[in-house]
Amino acid sequence: MDSAAVIEVSDLRHSYSSVEALRGVSFSVPKGSFFALLGPNGAGKTTLVHALCTLLRPSGGNVSVAGLDVRRAPRAVRRSLGLVFQEASLDDRLTVFENLIFHARIYQVPRRDRRRRAWEVLALVELEQWANAPVSDLSRGMKRRLEIGRAMLHEPTLVVLDEPTTGLDVQSRRRIWEYLERLQKDHGVTLLLTTHQISEAEGADWVAIIDQGRLQALDHPAKLRQGIGGKLINLQIGDDAFRQALSNRFPGKCKQRDSVIQIEAEDPEALLRELVADEQQWRMVDSLEVVDPSLEDVFINLTGRELRDRTANLSR
Amino acid sequence: MTALKAILSYMHDFAATTHAVWLREVLRMLRDSGQIVGAFSRPVLWVMIFGIGLTPYFRTGLRETTFMVPFTYIQFILPAVVVLNLMYPAIQSAVSLIWDREFGFSREVFASPTPRSAIFLGKLAGGTTIAMAQGLLVMILLPAANVPVSYTSLFAALLPMVAVALAFTAIGLLLASRMSSFQGFGVFANTLILPAFFLASSIFPLDPSLSMEQALQSFPAWLVFLVHANPVTYAIDELRWAMLGYRQFDPVTARAVLSAFVVIPIALAYHAFRR
Repeated sequence: MDSAAVIEVSDLRHSYSSVEALRGVSFSVPKGSFFALLGPNGAGKTTLVHALCTLLRPSGGNVSVAGLDVRRAPRAVRRSLGLVFQEASLDDRLTVFENLIFHARIYQVPRRDRRRRAWEVLALVELEQWANAPVSDLSRGMKRRLEIGRAMLHEPTLVVLDEPTTGLDVQSRRRIWEYLERLQKDHGVTLLLTTHQISEAEGADWVAIIDQGRLQALDHPAKLRQGIGGKLINLQIGDDAFRQALSNRFPGKCKQRDSVIQIEAEDPEALLRELVADEQQWRMVDSLEVVDPSLEDVFINLTGRELRDRTANLSR
Repeated sequence: MTALKAILSYMHDFAATTHAVWLREVLRMLRDSGQIVGAFSRPVLWVMIFGIGLTPYFRTGLRETTFMVPFTYIQFILPAVVVLNLMYPAIQSAVSLIWDREFGFSREVFASPTPRSAIFLGKLAGGTTIAMAQGLLVMILLPAANVPVSYTSLFAALLPMVAVALAFTAIGLLLASRMSSFQGFGVFANTLILPAFFLASSIFPLDPSLSMEQALQSFPAWLVFLVHANPVTYAIDELRWAMLGYRQFDPVTARAVLSAFVVIPIALAYHAFRR
């Protein structure tokens, strides 16, 4: 086993009665990295996270966190984890500080360190002035910041965030990214983040794309983008026949939406030269755009547009 | 040596969690103004209005058989009101369990490295503490109710009080473990508390000087049966014995029933909680 890995997952399988949520997933997360787990709703992300957090006993395969087997040493695994859940998990009636002290107690932080650690994490997420305010007075973004601070209170080696920015405004979102960056850079914490928002995975060191219970891709985001090949050319063409002709010429490399056709091109210059050369063709092009493939394109490429809609409907 | 160390560290963690959960329950209660208002208004309502209002009609012999209770009505119901003020907060304390599930706090607790038994114990101790505080609050009315106060009588009252507080906290936890909505829980708790209170010889005596045949002449058989079958009857009887030196039922039966009434709900609640 790789000693520098914080998470080791091998051939993880899990079924809920008749539904296979995970069908043999394997990966490892290096220490100190920012690992994003990307997938549509119902892809198996939550099942995977729950298996990591020992909230669920997987039907097959192995998971270890910080070198500890989740089945054999669940309590030790939990102590080395900081969790930020998708939905709020604070006690509204207690103050900010009381919530932190409660957490310190149930995570067995020694008594002499509790108050000091609580002030440290409050400083980290810039909520010191709110220490004695009841949590019910906090905005959604502030609550989320408090939860991130709380996850750090017992000095975990790994922080797991399940869709942490869902439902937050842009400012809160940006702040949270700053904190997460600081955690990783200054505190050497390993971050595992699940999201269905592709933009959030762009800054990760590693991106794993999961769909239908299987790992579809795992690489650096830049490499994943390269994997799609060259550039993407978006052409707006009013003429249906011409669009069809282009789509026939590049089978499997075209996507159409309304009057825009997108072509995946290994060598975009050659293709453009050819287009411009034929004056009749060129006149039919209303607009042209050459873009780098985004992670979103990789994602759609791997999971498929229709499929994503269908699974989203199913999980609702 | 290492084994001993591990056991000690486990016990320490266990105690820290139980303390954290207990403290949270108590803090939540102190911030719930509705509960505090209820804690004060309930005994005042029952003792000062109900008690004073019915005192002239007690022991006046409306029937052929006059009751032989050597106390005023207000003295008679005071121990029962103590029990009522234990039952309500004890059951209500378990609402936090549904609350936590609804608002996500249970994730924070159940994903932590703490044993579930410590969480259960903290909840049980928290509910019991809240109930005891409200039960003891009724003792403020002792002078107004003209019940002679002594430290020994107060001390003797603690045991049956703790029994009621534990039993009803456990019943609350049992209900809350199986229910998903606040409304359902509230309705269920109320339909449980009021009959359990009224059918406990709390607000009217079953005269102990009467034989069973005579009692059955004064009251319908179902009522006599239900009062005897209700464990709260024995809790109130024990409390009356401690505070007034008066009892209507056999002490051995009372203590046996009360012990079972504490142990069984706790065992059932723990079983439901672990799942």
